[in-house]
Amino acid sequence: MRYIRYLLLAVLFFFSLILPGTLFHFWSWGGVKPDLVMLLTIYFAMHHRSAVYALGTGIIFGLLQDLFLGKYIGMYALTLMVVAGLSFWLAGRWYRENLFLTLVLVFGVSLAGQAMIGFLGLAVGSLWSPTEILRLVLGIAVYNTILTPMTYPWIHHSFLYGWLRYRPKYER
Amino acid sequence: MRKRANVTGITILVFFLLLAILISMRLTGLDRSFPNPVGNVLQRVAAPVEYVILSAGRSVSDHWKMLWRIPRIETENETLQLQMDELMAENLRLKSQILAGLRYNELDQAQFRAPTADKYEQIGASIVNRNPSAWFQTLILNRGSRDGVAVEDPVVAHSGLVGKVISVSGGTCEVLMILDSEGQVSALVRESAGEGVFGIVQGTYDRSSRLTAEGNLQMTFRREDPVNRGDLVYTSGIGGVYPKDIPIGKVVEIKLDRSGLMKTAYIEPIVHFDSLEEVYIIKTVGGE
Repeated sequence: MRYIRYLLLAVLFFFSLILPGTLFHFWSWGGVKPDLVMLLTIYFAMHHRSAVYALGTGIIFGLLQDLFLGKYIGMYALTLMVVAGLSFWLAGRWYRENLFLTLVLVFGVSLAGQAMIGFLGLAVGSLWSPTEILRLVLGIAVYNTILTPMTYPWIHHSFLYGWLRYRPKYER
Repeated sequence: MRKRANVTGITILVFFLLLAILISMRLTGLDRSFPNPVGNVLQRVAAPVEYVILSAGRSVSDHWKMLWRIPRIETENETLQLQMDELMAENLRLKSQILAGLRYNELDQAQFRAPTADKYEQIGASIVNRNPSAWFQTLILNRGSRDGVAVEDPVVAHSGLVGKVISVSGGTCEVLMILDSEGQVSALVRESAGEGVFGIVQGTYDRSSRLTAEGNLQMTFRREDPVNRGDLVYTSGIGGVYPKDIPIGKVVEIKLDRSGLMKTAYIEPIVHFDSLEEVYIIKTVGGE
């Protein structure tokens, strides 16, 4: 069962990595597509019991995404680490069973994460206009939020009772 | 004290982490290339799956768009159906015109090309007289033996066969037109597909009008011979008088014999004999 959990995590990550460029290519709004890896990182961080695990997951996911994209190595690693930390911190204070609060969390964290990507991009000399950055930051945050009601209940249930549930050593 | 040290440590850690990441991003920007084996493996693994999803996505997207387009497509389909019907009708009309054009092109231009005739010398001649008797369909031309004209030389007009020289004097010659019952011509009837049926064209001069079914030219065939209205009649080249492929006329009507075994094709001549003024004598005999 333990391996199934990690296998499922890997599969979820893999599809989160490729779906925005494939399936959501057809469902993009003016070039705006969801950031599924960020959404997945938020979900994982919300359900981790330890901040270190949450941050570690964010760094690993981000680094793999950086390597997959092949450019600006470290940008997503740092961003998703911050996103994971923020999600973990907020999930500990908010009632994560509440869908509305989760929507607010996803929107806020996605907004912060995308803004960070925009900031880091500008910091290394990317020629992005402020309007474009604002449009993408808001667009992706909204898109992630829209996807949340369709994905969160299922993944939340799996984290609590299904294959994604963390099992302590004594339980294993 | 301990708490303060942790904050400083974290601040330093965050600073160096940020610095390292910014340097890393700078070194791996859009215009830089660097070894990325992990990324390559990920790309290699993802590529087939991405391809499948993209293909499926395209298909779904196309079908989805198609659903929205159905009302418009229906309207377009009806319009196209109407246009297709009109075009089919037009196509049929054009086809029939092209067939007709193929049949009559050379005749409409009042010219014909008959290679076997072209190889002989031809001399122009004017009609100086017509046979005053209604029993014979002959012409007198202003060319004779001095011009090399000989008996049996074929005579043609711009558009087709006129007849053959039956007598020659020093400066004139007499031509028996094919309208005459004696002016029989070995002929070939060509249908639109190009297949030919051989026969003999005969004049029926005793009839009143050559443009009616009782006209001046006719051919007799077996009932099963593939001869139809609109077919063209040419000289066959058989018989040794007329060169091959000189136009004679076109079949305007076909009638079954009383016995039902034979049929008669009535032929409208190509040449307007009544208004004929100039002709050409082909020196098939006189030229030798």
